[in-house]
Amino acid sequence: MTLALTLSGPQWTVNPGAGVPHAPGWGWYVILYFFLGGLAGGCFAIAAALDLRRNPAPRDRDVTRLGYLLSFPGVIGCGVLLLLDLGRPPRFWHLFIASERPPVPIFKYWSPISFGAWTLTGFGLFAFVAFVRVLIESGRLRWSPALRAADAVRRLPRTVAVIWTVIGILFALALAGYTGVLMIGTAHPVWHNAIPLGGLFLASSASTSYALLIILLLRRGYGHRDPMVRRLSEADRWAIALECLLLALVLVPLGGLARPLITGAFGALFWIGVVLAGLLLPLLLDRLRAGADPGRRDRIRAGLVLAGGLLLRFVFIMAPQWPEVRPWHL
Amino acid sequence: MAKGFFTDTTICIGCKACQVACHQWNQLPATNGGNTELTGNSYDNTGSLNALDWRHVKFIEQIPEDRSQEGFLKGSRWLMMSDVCKHCVEAGCLEVCPTGAIIRTEFDSVFIQQDVCNGCRACVSACPFGVVDMGHDGRAHKCTLCYDRLQHGMEPACAQACPTDSIRFGEVSELMVLADRRVEELRAQGIPAYIYGKDDIVGGLNCFFLLVDKPEVYGLPSKPELPSKNVAAGFSVSALTAAALAFTGLVSFRKNRMDEMGDDGDPPAPPRGTGPAPAAIGIEAVRGTEQIARDHVAERKARGSDAAPSSSYVRVERSEQDRRRSLPIMGQRQE
Repeated sequence: MTLALTLSGPQWTVNPGAGVPHAPGWGWYVILYFFLGGLAGGCFAIAAALDLRRNPAPRDRDVTRLGYLLSFPGVIGCGVLLLLDLGRPPRFWHLFIASERPPVPIFKYWSPISFGAWTLTGFGLFAFVAFVRVLIESGRLRWSPALRAADAVRRLPRTVAVIWTVIGILFALALAGYTGVLMIGTAHPVWHNAIPLGGLFLASSASTSYALLIILLLRRGYGHRDPMVRRLSEADRWAIALECLLLALVLVPLGGLARPLITGAFGALFWIGVVLAGLLLPLLLDRLRAGADPGRRDRIRAGLVLAGGLLLRFVFIMAPQWPEVRPWHL
Repeated sequence: MAKGFFTDTTICIGCKACQVACHQWNQLPATNGGNTELTGNSYDNTGSLNALDWRHVKFIEQIPEDRSQEGFLKGSRWLMMSDVCKHCVEAGCLEVCPTGAIIRTEFDSVFIQQDVCNGCRACVSACPFGVVDMGHDGRAHKCTLCYDRLQHGMEPACAQACPTDSIRFGEVSELMVLADRRVEELRAQGIPAYIYGKDDIVGGLNCFFLLVDKPEVYGLPSKPELPSKNVAAGFSVSALTAAALAFTGLVSFRKNRMDEMGDDGDPPAPPRGTGPAPAAIGIEAVRGTEQIARDHVAERKARGSDAAPSSSYVRVERSEQDRRRSLPIMGQRQE
């Protein structure tokens, strides 16, 4: 007797997890680190760019001060998050010193994590100096050795200060832009093939930094028609436009690989939270009439940009790791 | 000389002696506190290579959709493969490890130094084969090619335990000659055998396999890439984006500054409780703190009142000590 049995499904079976690159288990520590690193680098770069002006207006100085004040605590936060994310936090120093031959430093520029660890440290120095400078200039820091050091630095020629600031800007941009490259430097097919991801995260960092500065300026009593707020809003619009372009350049070449990002629950979050609320709505709000409370509109707009930036990182980090890593994973 | 494995999948019987030997020699605990969870979908009960299973026998059941059986299991095939770390010639994990914890040994194997690993997980995401995994001890783990046994002239536990010699250990070059001969034999019998792990796979695998179907069937990538392959391109896009942001920022600020020329140049007063107002900040505070202070005195005199200055950035009345402390510190030449 002939047994006729038809089965639906694949012709072969193998456990789906076998052979697929393991998810690195990045969770909220990494998401917040990417977001905070972007803000710290972005705020510093904006502040330092205004600092380079030959004739800084009072508004420029205000934004410079604000940016510098934000960036150093941001760097500290990044450091803490990175430490918490390590499986063995007390061994963090292995990122900097070769254990076999101390005190020889270890730097692998081709490894994004090594590059990032050194970039964060280098940027921390620039952010710290700028932070201290603001404290001294505002009279909040009166520690005499710091004041003496400040006096000595003040005597340096402008060229030295310009070079210092430009290097600081490069470190800030490297911190804000390397996080996406960190994801490209993995074997995971979605991240590995999303080549413009570093640029996307950098544009998002710029946009969120502009938004944060706008919110803080509005809180400090600046009006929505203030020239500085207008300048920052204009620059933010450009950054958002660039972000839209880069997002398309990430998703289109990915093709079917982009499915985890744009479908299902993560897809809903992506389209509604990132694209609609974080990118399109802020651009649209700029075109709408201000209404009775234009300051409120600007605050909502900036808040949407910030939330969109955080969600962008959440979706790009978490969606490809699902279901191996749960969305609430630290 | 490079040492490695030649795994001939055609003679693997799925006995898992390699898995057991690996667990025993390396003192790897059973998962879940001794209560192993069965996958329930095949004879494969460990699922994949992970921090505790450094050998993993895959069971690939190939059964046609039309199961009309003309003869015993005609058209069906059951493939078995004992998977392991490939100890790649160009190893992604070793490449990205920022601490130097992952090294290449004198046997050309790739080894994780457990006393150096800080659990950054770079290697986990860098391995295109899904070999490296994080343990509950916060460190990365994978096959060591029984480094301790090799140092004492012994062969790895899995190879020694394999009852069919599906897993053979030795010099990679010698094993490759053996493998090529075996491929020829099988092809002569009409079996489409080939070697997975020659130079075209990440520079070559020191632990390579003889397969009879596409790599994807065995859960292996057909064209694995080193994680760093796209990193340079990624950094280039970041640099271009930074240039574009600098340009658009410059345009926005220039344009608005021109618009601003007719506006009142003073920003609003800061809210209460923000501490003393800062002096000039700027690399070249051309006006300088003293100049700003003089401007404000003049402004107040012109107003003829004690009203607060419209610009709140300078304290007009302050001690000499305060004034010195609030001078710009960078770029301003001493007069």
